[in-house]
Amino acid sequence: MTTGDLVQTAARRIGAGEPIPEAELRELAALRDVLGLGMLADSARRRVRGSRVSYLRVADVAGDREPSQPPPAAREVRLTGPFTSNEAACAAVRAAKAVAGSVPVSGWSLADLADVGAGAPLEERLASLREAGLDLLSEVPLDRLASPEETLDRAAAAGFTGIRLTVDRAPASARLDLLLLARRLASRTPAVAAVNPLPMVLSPFRPTTGYEDVRMVALARLAVPATVAVQVDWRRYGPKLAQVALTFGADDLDHVSADDGAAEGGRRTVLADVRRNIEAAGFEAIERDAFYRCL
Amino acid sequence: MADHNSLGEGGQLSEGRSEAGPCDGTGECRACSRMLEALSAKVRSGGRLSAGEALTLYRQAPTHLLGQLAHQVRLRRHPEPIVTYIIDRNVNYTNVCVAKCNFCAFYRDVGAADGYVLGFEEIFRKIDETIAVGGGQLLLQGGHNPDLPIEWYEDLFRAVKGRYPSFKLHALSPPEILHIARLSQLAAREVIRRLVSAGLDSIPGGGAEILVDRVRRELHCHTKASADEWLDVMREAHRAGLRTTATMMYGTVETEEERIEHLLRLRALQDETGGFTAFITWSFQPEHTERGGVEATGVEYLRTLALARLVLDNVDNLQASWVTQGGKVGQLSLAFGANDMGSVMIEENVVRAAGAAYCMDELEIVANVEDAGFVPKRRNMHYEVLGDPIVRERDLPRMLALATAREPGDAAVPAELLRYEPRSRHEKARRRSPADE
Repeated sequence: MTTGDLVQTAARRIGAGEPIPEAELRELAALRDVLGLGMLADSARRRVRGSRVSYLRVADVAGDREPSQPPPAAREVRLTGPFTSNEAACAAVRAAKAVAGSVPVSGWSLADLADVGAGAPLEERLASLREAGLDLLSEVPLDRLASPEETLDRAAAAGFTGIRLTVDRAPASARLDLLLLARRLASRTPAVAAVNPLPMVLSPFRPTTGYEDVRMVALARLAVPATVAVQVDWRRYGPKLAQVALTFGADDLDHVSADDGAAEGGRRTVLADVRRNIEAAGFEAIERDAFYRCL
Repeated sequence: MADHNSLGEGGQLSEGRSEAGPCDGTGECRACSRMLEALSAKVRSGGRLSAGEALTLYRQAPTHLLGQLAHQVRLRRHPEPIVTYIIDRNVNYTNVCVAKCNFCAFYRDVGAADGYVLGFEEIFRKIDETIAVGGGQLLLQGGHNPDLPIEWYEDLFRAVKGRYPSFKLHALSPPEILHIARLSQLAAREVIRRLVSAGLDSIPGGGAEILVDRVRRELHCHTKASADEWLDVMREAHRAGLRTTATMMYGTVETEEERIEHLLRLRALQDETGGFTAFITWSFQPEHTERGGVEATGVEYLRTLALARLVLDNVDNLQASWVTQGGKVGQLSLAFGANDMGSVMIEENVVRAAGAAYCMDELEIVANVEDAGFVPKRRNMHYEVLGDPIVRERDLPRMLALATAREPGDAAVPAELLRYEPRSRHEKARRRSPADE
């Protein structure tokens, strides 16, 4: 298929609401024309979400410290730090729940939970965390799950919803396969709510590039079902890349600070900055809660 | 809901309700689509945009369309898949300045404790460091310091050329030339002649901000150079055989129409002289400035860059401003009309003072260029290709932060300053103080 035919076929499929077959996605991923790819992803996102962009305000809480009251703007309290043991994790969840009130508490990577060697089976660990009050898992890293389908099924069976599929540190060359995996997982598990295609672990010596990032965002939008949000981590990737990613198919900004005192950029509040960036890119800013419900 | 914009005779923009009914300004209704199609066709066929047409494109074209048009124009001008960059160092010889532009966080008043003038030996050391990483030029700019007469610049340039005969001096933006002219009571033409004679190779396009006097008055930069004065200095430089760059700092008080007026004034001078080698635009960096406010966003930068490529149809090269936008948007600039990654910089003081602290060493610039599908080549100020990346020839230490003019707290006053008659009351008093006797 020529490049023109490939793009036209993809545009027709997007218009008709058809999924783009894997072979065509692989050809699109090889396109040099990053703007052409962005145009396709933008039309796919507009077909699904119109001009709306959601954002989530998150209060990070270190899992190994006594939590303090989250800022009133927090829509999610996210426990951070390594998963050391089920007992410690459950205690951290209970402590966070005690201060979070009605704000949902999330924490840990499903891969970390699955990786802890000896001890209770994963189902039991997930169940005990749910029982302790954990509402959501922070991350489900596609590149770290040995048996993705099985592990995700267990998380869903334990009652976890609003699942965010993420990429831990896989190189760009490996990430299309991960996006195709995300497509399969999202198709079989309704609990999958979002995919975040940009690496969570960043190297200062070999940072990802702008082309690489927006290409991955665009491919994510073209790969995953329409019901799944494509998100960018505002704090990790910063306003400039996050905003440009919105024009390449992203429709959700995760991890916006809930603390307006911690201004990211000096004289303006975080909220004002997020909304200004969304609107300056031509979109409508909508705050959401941890379960992807618009507020 | 906005009404349709329509193009009158000569491409002047007029606003009014068209027969196609109201539109939402997104460029998605039928009448807007038709207009954008017509303008796209005009750009693709090499037509020159009017002010109204440029404004319509900027306001209504989807970001990807603007980028694609800009990229097509770039490819028409540079069909080869090369992206250039220069290894040079941004050196600010003084931060003492009487201009008091309210968008600047770098300047210090005369007599300020942290005001500085670099000594010749310090500048030589910076040149040595630049040469060590493959560089061949200083971008030398500074504040309007009343205690530096033209002889200081002449002596510096001669000393540099004496020690480093092939090293290039891309120095003194038009407002600095005017400042020296006023201090010396000489015409700008004569100042340029004397500086060229001392070793000036080319002039950077700084200080242009927005070339509209209403804007310049609000930014308190009208007295350092009006729009006409800035352009006149460039005209004189071009007539003297110098090549220069042109710049635009947007995102302060200017309207979209005034941004376009700025571009059209540059285009007109370029038609007349052909002296601009490149155009560089960047967004106002507000931190620690008197003006304050917020920085224009990354998408606005990419749209502005793309528009500049479309309007400036007679300027060969457009640089990506990674130092204000960061490496990622800097790299994406290559899809929005830029064909040059600017400078490795090595040192930067001005936008850092206003909150931007991005850094890219040669290795990272090269990686970004290649990742975007282009071939990186080193160039000089005339955009002549010098060769492949230095990092391909030898190992260079990684540079994860740009250097600064001086270490914090270094208040040394260079000895050679005493050779020049002071003009400011403060400097005269300082020289009379016992510490300096």
